[in-house]
Amino acid sequence: MAKKSEQIVEDLFRTEYGKLVTGLIRFFGPGNIQLAEDIVQETLITALDNWSMGQIPDNPTGWLVQVAKRKALNELKHQKIIQKHQSSILYLSNPEAELEHIFLENEIEDSQLRMIFTCCHPSLSEESQIALTLKTLCGFGVKEVANALLASESTINKRLFRAKKTIKDSKIPFDIPQGKELENRLDIVILTLYLLFNEGYNSSSNNKMIAQELCLEAIRLVKLLSTHFKENKELYALLSLMCFHVARFEARIDYKGTIILFEDQDRSLWNKSLIAIGISFLEKSKNAEKLSSYHIEARIAAEHCMAESLANTDWRNIYSQYELLSLVKPSPIIDLNKAIILSEIAGYTESLELLKQLEDNDKLPTYYLLPATQGFFYLKKKNYSKAMHYLNKAKELKPPLSELKLIERGISECKEKKVSN
Amino acid sequence: MKEFLLILKGDGMNHLSPSELQSIFSDYKVWADSLGEQYLSGQRLEDSGALFVDKKHEIITDGPFLESKEIIAGFFLIQAEDQEEANRIAQSSPHLGLYSIEVRPVAFPKMK
Repeated sequence: MAKKSEQIVEDLFRTEYGKLVTGLIRFFGPGNIQLAEDIVQETLITALDNWSMGQIPDNPTGWLVQVAKRKALNELKHQKIIQKHQSSILYLSNPEAELEHIFLENEIEDSQLRMIFTCCHPSLSEESQIALTLKTLCGFGVKEVANALLASESTINKRLFRAKKTIKDSKIPFDIPQGKELENRLDIVILTLYLLFNEGYNSSSNNKMIAQELCLEAIRLVKLLSTHFKENKELYALLSLMCFHVARFEARIDYKGTIILFEDQDRSLWNKSLIAIGISFLEKSKNAEKLSSYHIEARIAAEHCMAESLANTDWRNIYSQYELLSLVKPSPIIDLNKAIILSEIAGYTESLELLKQLEDNDKLPTYYLLPATQGFFYLKKKNYSKAMHYLNKAKELKPPLSELKLIERGISECKEKKVSN
Repeated sequence: MKEFLLILKGDGMNHLSPSELQSIFSDYKVWADSLGEQYLSGQRLEDSGALFVDKKHEIITDGPFLESKEIIAGFFLIQAEDQEEANRIAQSSPHLGLYSIEVRPVAFPKMK
């Protein structure tokens, strides 16, 4: 067997899946997402068969596009009547030309933009929007979506099924909204991509690779939007925020998968070039008509990333940004963060008082981070019995695995110290 | 050297994600190369096809006909010294996990 190229680009199947599926959804209409997915799946399997037996083609992407197009045309012959609820029925008169057009490089981007708006349509629940985006635009499998979102495969399957049904039944278009509608819809899209990114960033999934891919996909899609909606400052703010976070990815989880506290992170592991990109996006986000929560969060992340050391961090600035943030987007989580920052300015005692007040907040009792923070602050104050009390409380609230390890480490430290006292 | 048929059983590839498909592809290449001359042939089977049970009834279906874990998804023909070696080869296959693999010696070795 003579072989020329043994390797194909990493992620080729996954990225091509996303492009082909969006292209074919444009062709068959958004009511036929399943059909498009089936055709692309078959295309990849055909590639697997052919490439395994012989050679990998010189242009694997082109090969996949050709096969997918052929399969799509066959499908069209099979089911003569396809209800396309979209305005354009051009492809019915000349399907070959339509397909040819759809798979032009810049048209693929256009299809992906439309698909973002279809996936993030307000008729779909937030969780369906995220699952559908990952499945179609990002080429994740059901198992991978389930892994990333910490849900069961059957839950994700149901979510996807419902989302596709809603899109079909409500005749959700495959278009970029225009005029007044655009602003609202874009807000929803941005929020969904922000949440998608957070799923990856805060993922307690053991699969670090999937978590990272999720973050990079979110960045890719926001970038795509920013090249189209150049005037939208929120997109740049969000991009900047995402870059700052991803820059610290390597430093925040150790080789055992345990989260490393911010103060203990090795700053030399932070990705300098990503931080620089984050800063340039932050510049571009300036002079916005309205200050969004993304802007403020980006500023906070920037302050952290640009400080030379923990001691050099401008905590007062960060504190005032959090105050601003709690005005724009009031939430007990932000109050919690504010209280944590206060410990850097005024000390643990004052911060712990504020944290104590938060215990009464209705929304926080089930949130492990509050008692975990209290526990670690008491640990710093060498008050081991209180520390133990709060850390145990945090442990009961089922923290993600990566944080559980840290909490357990704190508990055993309390035990040791109490014994030696 | 005897010949062995490795019969892969399980639900096609339809439920595999693009990344899983790609990793099968890459791992498969490495595996087949590592077998060298011992690898004779291999092919995936489509889920569809026909099923005949006896002479009287002509049963032709589009398939899949059986429970998904019983579907023959593909096969490999390999050469090995004995059953143990063939088993080891099957165990090293990247398909194991996604499919169950039956390792069966070919009854009458070809005359050489």
